[in-house]
Amino acid sequence: MKKMTVKKLMSLLAVCLSAVCLLSGCGGQGEQSGNTDGKENGSESAGTDDSREMVLFTWEGMFPQEVLDGFEEETGIQIVYSNFDTDETMLEKLAQAEGGDYDLVIADDYIIETVVQEGLAQKLDQSKIENFGNINPLYQGQFYDKEDAYTVPYGAGIPLIVYDPELVDFEIESYEDLWDERLADSVALTANYRVINGITLLSMGKSMNEEDVSVIEEAGEKLKALAPNVRMIQDENTQNALLNGEASVAFLYTSQVTQVLSENPELKVVYPKEGLGFGIMAGFIPSNAPNSDAAHQFLNYILEPETGAQCFDFMGYYSTNIEADEFLENQDLAVPDTVTEGEIVQNVSEDAEAAYNKNWTEFRAACD
Amino acid sequence: MRKKRNWWTFTVLPLYAFTLIFVAGPLVYMIALSFASNREGYGVIWRFTAENYKRLLDPLYLGTFAQSLKLAFSSTAAIMLLGYPFGYFMAKLSSKWKKRMMLFLTIPFWVNSLIRLYGWIIILQTKGTLNGVLLNLGLIEKPLKLLYSYPAVLTGMIYTLLPFMILSVYSSAEKLDWSLIEAARDLGANAVQTFFTITLKLTFPGLLSGMILTFIPSMGLFFIADILGGNKIVLVGSLIQDQMTRGSNWPFAAALAVVLTVLTTLIIYIYRRVTHTSELEGLY
Amino acid sequence: MKRNKTKLPGIYLGLVLLFIYLPIVLVVIYSFNESKTTAMWKGFSLKWYRELFQDTAILEALQNSLVLGVLSCLAAAVVGTLGAVGLTKVRHRSKGVVEYVSTLPIMIPEIILGMVFLAFFSVLHLPFGMVTLVIAHTAFCIPYILMMVKARMAGMDPALEEAAMDLGASPMRTFLDITLPLIMPAVMSGCLLAFAMSLDDVVITIFVNGPKLNTLPIKVYTQTKFGVTPKINALCTIMLAVTLAVLAAGQLLRFLFSLAGRRGVRRGNSGNHLYSGQVTITEDGKSG
Repeated sequence: MKKMTVKKLMSLLAVCLSAVCLLSGCGGQGEQSGNTDGKENGSESAGTDDSREMVLFTWEGMFPQEVLDGFEEETGIQIVYSNFDTDETMLEKLAQAEGGDYDLVIADDYIIETVVQEGLAQKLDQSKIENFGNINPLYQGQFYDKEDAYTVPYGAGIPLIVYDPELVDFEIESYEDLWDERLADSVALTANYRVINGITLLSMGKSMNEEDVSVIEEAGEKLKALAPNVRMIQDENTQNALLNGEASVAFLYTSQVTQVLSENPELKVVYPKEGLGFGIMAGFIPSNAPNSDAAHQFLNYILEPETGAQCFDFMGYYSTNIEADEFLENQDLAVPDTVTEGEIVQNVSEDAEAAYNKNWTEFRAACD
Repeated sequence: MRKKRNWWTFTVLPLYAFTLIFVAGPLVYMIALSFASNREGYGVIWRFTAENYKRLLDPLYLGTFAQSLKLAFSSTAAIMLLGYPFGYFMAKLSSKWKKRMMLFLTIPFWVNSLIRLYGWIIILQTKGTLNGVLLNLGLIEKPLKLLYSYPAVLTGMIYTLLPFMILSVYSSAEKLDWSLIEAARDLGANAVQTFFTITLKLTFPGLLSGMILTFIPSMGLFFIADILGGNKIVLVGSLIQDQMTRGSNWPFAAALAVVLTVLTTLIIYIYRRVTHTSELEGLY
Repeated sequence: MKRNKTKLPGIYLGLVLLFIYLPIVLVVIYSFNESKTTAMWKGFSLKWYRELFQDTAILEALQNSLVLGVLSCLAAAVVGTLGAVGLTKVRHRSKGVVEYVSTLPIMIPEIILGMVFLAFFSVLHLPFGMVTLVIAHTAFCIPYILMMVKARMAGMDPALEEAAMDLGASPMRTFLDITLPLIMPAVMSGCLLAFAMSLDDVVITIFVNGPKLNTLPIKVYTQTKFGVTPKINALCTIMLAVTLAVLAAGQLLRFLFSLAGRRGVRRGNSGNHLYSGQVTITEDGKSG
């Protein structure tokens, strides 16, 4: 009896092992070299293949098709457009690939700080990017890349308040106004917990990046008082709530503001007087990018004034390319003066982070 | 006899192997992670701590678990009431109509579930289809605020998970021996008696697997609360999502997931004990 | 066989189907919407269809999704069905545990499972791409098939199988000729659910995906910065239209079904016989 079990176990183990071998074996043939192992032996056939290919890793819809096609036509380099859903997924995938697999990543400011700290980005070779000077200096020297060694900014955003003057019978000028009793059950908010915490802090005259836990907790109490006014909290399609009359006021990301205005120009945009939060998206090249040459070429390509303008018009984010401004169809996307006063949401200490998180959960629970 | 044994051992081998490597392996990793410490910035430190579990005792998080359970129970109950008759009636159709019905149930799967929920937004929104119909019928005078509410979330849950119950009940009821029911009726049992003594008993395995298949996902399906509930109902799933993403506290997220899994298992276990289905041969 | 004469069941089935199809009808209608948002109707337009056909990436992603769905569904069907049948016969202490563990992938929240899979596959040095995707999808497809088949097996008359064995049929023959036809409806139901789950999954997919492969849900859900456009509605509408076209061609459909049945059995010649036999055996086998 005992012998039988051992035998069974052995055969089970054998099956397991052979299954793994089989899977990894056939995988190696079937897939174009996926992982870092591909680096050592990838010089023969795969190597030549790779130089004609550039893997771009970002959200869906960040580039108009014409720009991608234009680059392929000009350079003969094929773009492989790969997508992630959140910045954190991107970081995890990049970390597991040890900075390989992907040639160019475009992500949000705060995560790039971590990427650089973890050594997952490589320094740009500025001699390969002739158009580097086109970048609007306003977006350079930021906290995530103080020397501008790693990144090229690609679009900026300022979350703003937009409201329907037909449904709101007073003038909204500040974040503080969102707490007004007249807005009961009619405010739509984006679901970024740091930004929502941040505007609460701004309304209290504090910084969006407050580190003092007691102040954050105070903001949490104030945030809970906003609950009766909240109609919905959502990151995607928040603008729809404003368009279909579910909400009369919305706090929206820039691309959503752009979209909502193109659908209904009657809506009013508010630059809250307490100050603005702003965010930058930027491109960087991972430390072990298989084809960093192509990535440099691509960065240079999208920094060309006309191409850049095409991109910003498509995305609906503020232009980070000063030379592109004049080519913008939608002149609202040229940098507003107010941007300079904006504050970027940055990474904070673990304790502060936990406090922000808790505020957010409590706030949402209070909205129910 | 011997040969028979070997054959059956052989049939479960793939399941054993797959489960051992690709499910048990990652699972162990998840449990280990729940006892690790969070590292500032990114990743984890492999230093043992029970802190993540202690943190769960905060009334805030316990409330979230309660909220999730409430939604899971109410949606499972509603789905059962709606889905059981459907599966049962479906099993009584002619084989031609069974196939057609199967197709009718499958076709919606071609439409991405997110997009299907957007369809519900169009129906439920203040200027939406349902309000339009109600207004035209004169049943209401002012449009109702239907969206971003508990009933809206419940509707979404029922909508998304109903096919699981239907197909489960159907595949069990399909093998039902109708002659038994007829015999019971011939012997003078009324419809209600027959249903509870025979039909329900015989289709119970299907109902149970349907309930499990709807209860389990309903504990985790937070994107419905996000889209139709406007994120105002906090569920464990979205708490985990928050911790995994911008909260970047994986160990805590893993601890939440472990507790969620244990809780789900426990409820199913108790349920089986109470209903005595654990004695049913061959049931999960 | 006497049938229930009232129309009530028919009405009920119809009403529930209406509930299921109502949002889908609206999805189709709004695919012709001029506006970029689904918030309001701005007039009829075909522009989303034009955009869709220019987008080769999305069509390629659809193809990948279908391949992935079929592969993982098939793998899960084989592993899950054999396992479910075997588990009712094998008497070993481990079976309860294995069964429980194998259903865990649908209990654990997707984002955790995805992250854990990613770390685990990296340790195993599996190349990220179709292989890892199929493994991960198979993992969460198995529970559906396993549960469905086990529910069907529960309380099934073992006399049939025993009779076949007594008449000298090998276990494999018995399985293929007796057991499998009996459980086929459950296998099919399980496969449908599993396929639907695979076709819809995004979180796990993104984690275990390789750099050069996209699936349809990835294309849909990663538009987070901009919001989903009606282009996806248009795609869904086309997928529906194709399905309905197939449905209309009833003959073709029956052929496809028998093909699917044949594949599940892995026997070339008896597919038709098996499928048509499925209903009669279940009914006759019991009442006869």
